[in-house]
Amino acid sequence: MANAPILDRKFLERLERLTIHWQKSFPGLVGGHNKSRLPGGGQEFLDHRHFHQGDDLRAVNWRAYMRLDKMFLKLFQVEPRVPVRMLVDISDSMAAGKPAGTGGKFDYALKLAGALCYVGLVRLDTIEVLPFSGKLQEGKVCGGGRHRFTPLSRFLEGLSSGGTTSFLKVIREFLNDYPQRGLVIVISDFLDEGGCDKALQYLADYGNELMLIHVWSDEDRTPPWTGECDLEEAESGAKLHIHVDDEARARYTEEFDKFAASIRAVAMRNSGRYAAIPTSLPLEEAIFGKLMQSRSVA
Amino acid sequence: MGLNLGIGEFLAIFGAISAVSVALYLLDRNRRKQVVSTLRFWVTPGLPSPVTRRRKIQQPISLALQLLGMLLLLLAIAELHWGGGWRARRDHVLIIDTSAWMRAGVPGRPNATLMDLARANAISWLRAVPDSDRVLLLRADGLATPATAWESDHVKVARAILETRPGATAINLRQSLDFARQLQKQTGSSGGEIVYDGPGRIRDAEAEGGPVNVPILRYLQVADPSENVGFRSVGARRSSTARDSWDLLVRLRNYGRTPRTVSVTLNLGHAPMGMHPVTLAPASEQETTFELHTKAAGLAELRIYPADAFGADNYASLELPAQRSLHVIVYSDSPEAWRPALESDPRIAAEFRKPREYVPADDGLVILDRFHPDQAPAGNSLWVDPPDKSPIAIKGRVVEPAGLQWAPDQSLAAGLREHDMRIPTTSILDAGANDIRVAEVDRGAVIAARVSADGKTKTIVMGFNPFAGALRYELAAPLLLANELRWFAPDVFRDVDVTAQSAGTVSDSYVAPQGKTVNDVQVITEAGTNLPFNIRDGKIQFFTGSAARVSVISANTERVYSLTLPEMWDQRWVPPTTVRRGIPAWNDALRRGTDLWPWLAILGGAVLLVEYLIYGRDMSALLRVIRAHMDRTGERAA
Repeated sequence: MANAPILDRKFLERLERLTIHWQKSFPGLVGGHNKSRLPGGGQEFLDHRHFHQGDDLRAVNWRAYMRLDKMFLKLFQVEPRVPVRMLVDISDSMAAGKPAGTGGKFDYALKLAGALCYVGLVRLDTIEVLPFSGKLQEGKVCGGGRHRFTPLSRFLEGLSSGGTTSFLKVIREFLNDYPQRGLVIVISDFLDEGGCDKALQYLADYGNELMLIHVWSDEDRTPPWTGECDLEEAESGAKLHIHVDDEARARYTEEFDKFAASIRAVAMRNSGRYAAIPTSLPLEEAIFGKLMQSRSVA
Repeated sequence: MGLNLGIGEFLAIFGAISAVSVALYLLDRNRRKQVVSTLRFWVTPGLPSPVTRRRKIQQPISLALQLLGMLLLLLAIAELHWGGGWRARRDHVLIIDTSAWMRAGVPGRPNATLMDLARANAISWLRAVPDSDRVLLLRADGLATPATAWESDHVKVARAILETRPGATAINLRQSLDFARQLQKQTGSSGGEIVYDGPGRIRDAEAEGGPVNVPILRYLQVADPSENVGFRSVGARRSSTARDSWDLLVRLRNYGRTPRTVSVTLNLGHAPMGMHPVTLAPASEQETTFELHTKAAGLAELRIYPADAFGADNYASLELPAQRSLHVIVYSDSPEAWRPALESDPRIAAEFRKPREYVPADDGLVILDRFHPDQAPAGNSLWVDPPDKSPIAIKGRVVEPAGLQWAPDQSLAAGLREHDMRIPTTSILDAGANDIRVAEVDRGAVIAARVSADGKTKTIVMGFNPFAGALRYELAAPLLLANELRWFAPDVFRDVDVTAQSAGTVSDSYVAPQGKTVNDVQVITEAGTNLPFNIRDGKIQFFTGSAARVSVISANTERVYSLTLPEMWDQRWVPPTTVRRGIPAWNDALRRGTDLWPWLAILGGAVLLVEYLIYGRDMSALLRVIRAHMDRTGERAA
């Protein structure tokens, strides 16, 4: 019996009216749907500037040259095709407690990635999905319309969790491999022993716009257990024997919220977007609720 | 409260189970094992530091529920009883009344009988008996007969109850209760009930015996009809005044509380022969007689109209035998002397002829009064003072013989004494060794009898004429003739009494004939089997448990008992004041000892289910840990 598709057809139809948004202006060829402040080869007049050696003579404002005897170059507004790259966390922490296929963070992240990819495909964006854990893994480029979604869906369905998260290593690798600036969507629980703030800042500093989608399970934020517990970290295998009471649980949640706020702060500081999505939230509400509120999609 | 396990055994098993359960808790549940995404938020400053490993029960309520569930299940396995002390089982005796009265109909229910109600009561009681108890079914009418052994399988007892049918006799309740008590004592168990299921109608004799000695007696009373009129007995005797007639004496009883007028009809064959109205006061008996003229054998049927709820005693039948007579031909010149003696008995058909009319081939008995034919009669013959020749030779003749003696061991001389007859003159007979010397004088036999070699022909020779001269006024003369006639034809002169009465114990007056002993009496059923009997204080007693036709035959009498009437009760039984009544209720059965194990098993299962629903996620978490561990192991191996 074949596996069920990652997203059903009815839900995909609802996604067709959405568009992935970004705020930064990126250079690029015509074909996108977000206007850029950078001039390009568009049709709509944007501005003038002085002609410099090497500029395209076809853009010179010859009327102004005749009148002022100076060469001004006409600048046009462009809606460039911006590369959208999606980093999807597939580390062990994403599957902690609920392995792949059981409705945990991992499954939720794949569905979310698939939904955003479909939104981009509908708008003819080019999206490259890059799974990662300890290192950047082979990705999947998709573009050219909604009919290209099926290969992407199969790619996502074929992913499995594993590995230890290392944001710094992954981001460095990413920046080396993809120097062109663009929108970078990170879907992760951002749980990295080494921390992820610095890596995310690198990503922003290189001119990318960040869209951080923080996925957590309810157990991640509010542990349901009380009493003595033997906890084992999914990625490292480290064990911890602690006594959990209500006060400890409250303090745990407080620490988690601080951590989420730090992730959000990185996004906000770099004019990016941040959406915190618990797995208990239905995917539809996550797309049409959380992501729309953060203006990640519109 | 009781268990099938000893206290020590129970505590040992429960202790072992509890220890295992607690150990599993300490090993498995003392700490929750959980795989988490990260530990970073637990080890931040301000949060509790890791604790030392120690054995501690984390979920005492869960453990308590598990122990409670196991305790309940163990009690169910041990078959906990409620009530009844520490007994293993009890033995009950169920006495179901199978008397003839159980055939009576139930007022308001046309097709139901008291037996149906008794069976329903018995089944209801049986359902209330705990399964572990043993039951013995006793069918009680005139005799108490066990229908089952001690059975724990109540289905067998129920089957025996349904197969129970009414009998023909009244219940002997005292005997049944004593028998049941004896059976219970043999088992050695205590606490069992003796249950009497019936209407409680007994004979008078039982009520005189004082209270019954039964420790635990239960009375399942069957409501019976109050009004009934029926035959108590019907007797038929050959009429002593009219030839070929029967006198029928019918006795009826009104068992009810209101006076009743009924009609008693008599049919012979299918021909109506009479009808008498009879009025009976409450609880009284009344007699009426019928005179039935018939010579032939036939079935005399008596019925009571209108019919009532108990139809078995509204009908009685008698098989009347044919009335036989003895044809006697008297060849005498003075028949007047013989006529009074022979015509006084309706069983004798006497014919008087002159000696010249003699025919040798005459049937019946031929009396030759001082007459000697040339050819002897072909059949039986009585030679009276033959003049010269006789079948038994005449040695001589004497006048006023002395020393008259009667043979004491011969039926021909029954009732005769020496001084009863004074003979003026007689012939002396030369009786042979095979001849019967009925009377002798000093010089020899004066009356002798002879039976032919084939036994078909009998001959008596009398040396004198008992009806001649002064002898005719002697008492012994007709008695001697009667003895001789009975000797010739015993079947004709046998007194026949036909009685219809109830089965059961028959006790009737009996006078042994002179010279007869108990060994000469026979009590025979219609099938030809001999019934045991007893003769005491002038009464003969025997017992039949079912309807039958019994003949009591002695020397010259035959009584036929047509035991077809049901044996009836006389009064209502008064049970002891301590008797338990009715079907035991559920709570009563519970108090007396009820199996609680089904409820304990259900409750134990429910407790474990609740524990699983509340704390069962731990089990799934454990499974997840195991599965994750196996996955990691697989990955490392890969």
